[in-house]
Amino acid sequence: MSLLEVSDLTVSFGRRRRVAVDHASFSLEAGQRLGIIGESGSGKTVTALSVMGLLPETAQVAGSVRLAGRELVGLPESQHARLRGDLVSMVFQEPMTALDPTMQVGRQVAEVLRLHAPERSGRARQHVLEMLGRVGLTDAERVADSFPHQLSGGQRQRCLLAMALINSPDLVICDEPTTALDVTVQARVLALLDEVLSAEGAACLFISHDLAVVSQVCSDVLVMLDGDIVEAGPVAKLFTAPEHPYTRGLVATARIDQVRPGERLPTVEDFYPRAEAR
Amino acid sequence: MSAPTLPPDAAASTPLYRVRGLTRTFGRAGRVKALDGVDLDVSAGQRLGIVGESGSGKSTLIRLMAALDRPTTGSISFEGQEITRLPEPRLGFLRASVQLVFQDPRSSLDPRMTVGSIVTEPLRSRHLRGALGPVQAGVRLREVLDAVDLPPDAAGRYPHEFSGGQRQRIAIARALAPGPRVLIADEPVSALDVSVRAQVLNLLAGLVAANDLTLIFVSHDLAVVRHLCDTVVVLRAGRIDEQGPAEQVFGEPRSEYTRALVSAIPRIRV
Repeated sequence: MSLLEVSDLTVSFGRRRRVAVDHASFSLEAGQRLGIIGESGSGKTVTALSVMGLLPETAQVAGSVRLAGRELVGLPESQHARLRGDLVSMVFQEPMTALDPTMQVGRQVAEVLRLHAPERSGRARQHVLEMLGRVGLTDAERVADSFPHQLSGGQRQRCLLAMALINSPDLVICDEPTTALDVTVQARVLALLDEVLSAEGAACLFISHDLAVVSQVCSDVLVMLDGDIVEAGPVAKLFTAPEHPYTRGLVATARIDQVRPGERLPTVEDFYPRAEAR
Repeated sequence: MSAPTLPPDAAASTPLYRVRGLTRTFGRAGRVKALDGVDLDVSAGQRLGIVGESGSGKSTLIRLMAALDRPTTGSISFEGQEITRLPEPRLGFLRASVQLVFQDPRSSLDPRMTVGSIVTEPLRSRHLRGALGPVQAGVRLREVLDAVDLPPDAAGRYPHEFSGGQRQRIAIARALAPGPRVLIADEPVSALDVSVRAQVLNLLAGLVAANDLTLIFVSHDLAVVRHLCDTVVVLRAGRIDEQGPAEQVFGEPRSEYTRALVSAIPRIRV
């Protein structure tokens, strides 16, 4: 049994039932890291949110999402809330909006512990400081007592990572976790993510539009286009011998380093022309 | 880095932009030094990339060069004329010659204006009219829409009817309308989907070549700068950390910081 089994997942929104994810099927083994790439509106985030149970009430969900054998589609919110932050957790793109600005970050990390592991919450502060240290925050005491605005972007993203990992979840979903960060900070956070995921043995669903970043974190990758999974496979194969013309286009545009300066860049349209000019 | 490393022919002619000792501070008693003593020459036809991390002063620098802000100290001359102390009504020559494209076309285009009136707005400006001379707005509109590969009927529609990539084309068309000599682009593709970035970059490169534009391109994406620009300035905490030909700065960075920046560029690893 896989850790996460998504089959025929279809998510649509609103009265007109605009389809955001269209019969998507994939699975994720324990400890495996799967990247989802695609442009905005392709269904990446909606797929992740349906695993998290964080879709808005206007969403209609069909199909099946099984996490560690439990069916999540149709699961009552009270039960889903118990899994969230415990079995599965999420790191969002913008740490400034994901953190509560009025609360010291140490208490925010401790809250996750208190909600899911009350037996450990007696020594919560000690656990929190230890976790902050594990995500590379050397002055854990000071960080724990800081408010989000007193921290840098990289420190905030590390705090989110600590919050996502403190209950040793089986699955961590990362939605563009380094897109808002500077390149040097991004490189450090990615290296850290790689390290802590390995140490915790957690599986990861990693959403990104940046193929280079996905290639550094994941072993496998899915390509989504307009709600469909158009191609899936190991990173090494997909990025060297992509089959779907859209994937070929994405890979070609990501290889900007292989184009001589001044020459025309390959575009996705060269490989996969679409009716509507974007 | 004090030694200018511009190509010899460019250094010989008078630079288009001459920036000296540029400093801009913010906050009480100037506590925040956004820009700290920057010297920079930009010659006609140059394609200059400005890179650096957030807070390094990239945007402050170009805002000053476009006279959207005034420096605390230091000078900027454009075509030999000092611009930092000129009142707005006398900046028409600069506004006609220097145009900007911003990061996010969703916020840089007025949602209540049609594309036609957005693109021709620079031509109607009181301050620009003197510098531009008589311009047939309708003719110019068709020319620039064509130049950015938008259909002529786009003029009657509104920004929300277009995709992100198309909206950035509209912003580029507006920048081209007054026939500028310099195009300043501040992270012009960062807000766009990967699948359309290459198209907009190709368009920009083509327009710069076809119209002999001087390009000042601000980006945190070093791979894009390397592709598009011939010279690069690396900013760090308001100072120039390193500058020189793109090939040298990216190939053999001299400073520790630039080396770290270049090695942090994500690359496909398989």
